[in-house]
Amino acid sequence: MMPVKNTSGRAYGLTLLCPIKNESRDDRSYAEILRDYLENLRSDDASPMAKVPNTYLARFYVLNDVFYQGYGFREEHLKSKYLVFSSNFHGDRDTYVRGMWNSNEKGVRAIWRYCVAFDDVQDAQGFLDYVKRCQVDNALFFNGSTDDFLVEQLKALYLKQEFTRFAYDNQGVGPEQLQKNFGEFLGRTQPSNVDEPTWLPGHPNQ
Amino acid sequence: MTTELNLQDIQGNVLKTYARQDFSYARYVLLGINQPAMGRRFIRDLLPLVTTAAPWARPGDDGEAMPKPRATTNIAFSYHGLKRVELPEKSLHSFPEEFSMGMRERGDVLGDTGRNAPAYWDPVWNRKDGRVDIWLSINGQSPQDIEDRYGKILEILENTNAGVTLLTGHRGDDDADDLPYQDAGALRDGNGEPTPKEHFGYVDGISNPFFEGTLTDPAYVLGAGKPTRKSPESLSGWEPLETGEFILGHRDEAQELPRAPIPRSLSYNGSYLVYRKLHENVGSFNRYIKAQGEHLPDGAEQVAAKFAGRWRNGAPITTFPTKKQADRFIKKVEAAKKEMAQARNRITKSVARVKYVRLLGKFVGFNYDDDLAGSRCPVGAHARRTNPRGALEFGVKDAFDTPGALTNRRRLLRRGLPYGKSDENSGDDGNHGIIFMAIGASIERQFEFVQQQWINYGNDFKLANEKDPLVGNHEPEAASATGRMIFPAEPGSGKAPHFCSGIPQFVETRGGGYFFLPSLTALRMIGQGIVDPT
Repeated sequence: MMPVKNTSGRAYGLTLLCPIKNESRDDRSYAEILRDYLENLRSDDASPMAKVPNTYLARFYVLNDVFYQGYGFREEHLKSKYLVFSSNFHGDRDTYVRGMWNSNEKGVRAIWRYCVAFDDVQDAQGFLDYVKRCQVDNALFFNGSTDDFLVEQLKALYLKQEFTRFAYDNQGVGPEQLQKNFGEFLGRTQPSNVDEPTWLPGHPNQ
Repeated sequence: MTTELNLQDIQGNVLKTYARQDFSYARYVLLGINQPAMGRRFIRDLLPLVTTAAPWARPGDDGEAMPKPRATTNIAFSYHGLKRVELPEKSLHSFPEEFSMGMRERGDVLGDTGRNAPAYWDPVWNRKDGRVDIWLSINGQSPQDIEDRYGKILEILENTNAGVTLLTGHRGDDDADDLPYQDAGALRDGNGEPTPKEHFGYVDGISNPFFEGTLTDPAYVLGAGKPTRKSPESLSGWEPLETGEFILGHRDEAQELPRAPIPRSLSYNGSYLVYRKLHENVGSFNRYIKAQGEHLPDGAEQVAAKFAGRWRNGAPITTFPTKKQADRFIKKVEAAKKEMAQARNRITKSVARVKYVRLLGKFVGFNYDDDLAGSRCPVGAHARRTNPRGALEFGVKDAFDTPGALTNRRRLLRRGLPYGKSDENSGDDGNHGIIFMAIGASIERQFEFVQQQWINYGNDFKLANEKDPLVGNHEPEAASATGRMIFPAEPGSGKAPHFCSGIPQFVETRGGGYFFLPSLTALRMIGQGIVDPT
């Protein structure tokens, strides 16, 4: 089967190249201000991307220029600097991008405000249209994730960790007591309830 | 193509395991250089005592081979030491970064944190007035041989008029912490005979790597070379590793010359030495295996075997899963050794040898292909971690070009001896442990990688962040025992695995450094101050 562009099973790999305005403020270029802002974003559960549903892994960076590979290769340059956004998530692109806007409009604006033509974006549909114009196709996927809903993956990891603890704590316990303890374990961890208890997206010390 | 090495140019400790050749006593000395010219003079004066890798005459030989000496001496330099003897800047800068940083600065890589941190090391490593510049080893056939050789070295030191000084601050018995040397030696049995055991009771130093150019019996390639796809019990199941994995200036497993300092005459036939003093918490170890042993059929012995991958008598647990089988096998090995030693003529000798090599096949010639899940030898056992023997293919047929693709470049030549005394009543405190030494062409690629990825982490074995049960750092920060290990059960057997938790720290770092072990040629050049990298 031919791979569908930008997807791997139910996982989607979105990559955007958004030109940064060639402007400055207080004698600092927008590209520099944006890089500074991005580098100070949190990467744990306080990350703006932790709020966006179904994000497996996301990263931002500022692309200064293309790399010169040395003698024998043509030396080329970009006309502007780019904000690169790359995200792996569950589901289809349009739902995800709308979700990004709806869950964290403020966060989206704080980042993309430095980019060319973003000023015209007023709502989720506008953001989606903007994203489509900036998207480049790719086949890069985060190997540490399945293609399931994020909540299901987080619940599975939580259960795996809790079950390991259970196994260690109950080693050598007799059948009756073991069954009782396992009943308590099921009651406490609620395996079929994906919402809680579980790991939080981006939480570092689970 | 076979490699012929100039054994008279290579220091003896690179190729010889002195302890196996009647040198069961050792003394390690650390020196500081105060005056560069005197540092060089010390090297020149010491040269006649430095032991090379050339084979010694056997009784009855009438060739040119040197008779076995009563004592040996070897010498190596820290980066700071090379600076102090005024090696040219250009040569100094050509050494790899981990060597110039030194062991102390590599603590985060090595897991030398918490109770392993330099603050707990012997004072000699923490001296404010002098850094460790020179490492010197003496191996002797008797304590008196050690004293004699040590006396000679002190005389040479004296001639430097304090230009080179003995650094004190080694810990020893009775809370001494200002000794001028570190003594070590094989542990003795009831009859005072040396044994190959360390303080936890394991036979140590099995399966040292075998490489091109060593003049020992080619049968020793079994289990010690790099694995091929043939039966691991047969000689064709193994090939010698390339010389360049252990000696600079020769082809290595990447089929190129290893990265080495310049000029070539400085590095050729040299190597790197990792020296580490490792304290053993004998009390904690004995308590822990006893407590866990209550859940296993072969008791504490089985816990010890699962931890190490070998029974304490040396038999591999993957081949001999019960203590009874292991004991019976080791008896056979001992008998075969004896038979070989007592054989009077060529025919009985060769018959005995064939018998012995066949047993050797079982002792060291094995892999984990029939034990992938680790129900006999746990995947996280010490010997399986530090020498996976192709187990990183995880049973996938021809996963790599060769079964050792991920392991052949991570092998360590181990040269170590226990220090101090212990018995069944010993606790954690006191003076007992191991002087661990590893020799190789790249400290970073070999020793540091094994220490960081295979001992203090488990991802390569699909064991997440589990550590080596015996030597892992189980108390990196808090004073709580965090070690875990699973003894898997045979899949489909219906039996439950055994979980070990709360494993305390059994081994603690008490000092150590990285040293350059030059060839005899390079020693002469350093001593004369004529190293020229231009």
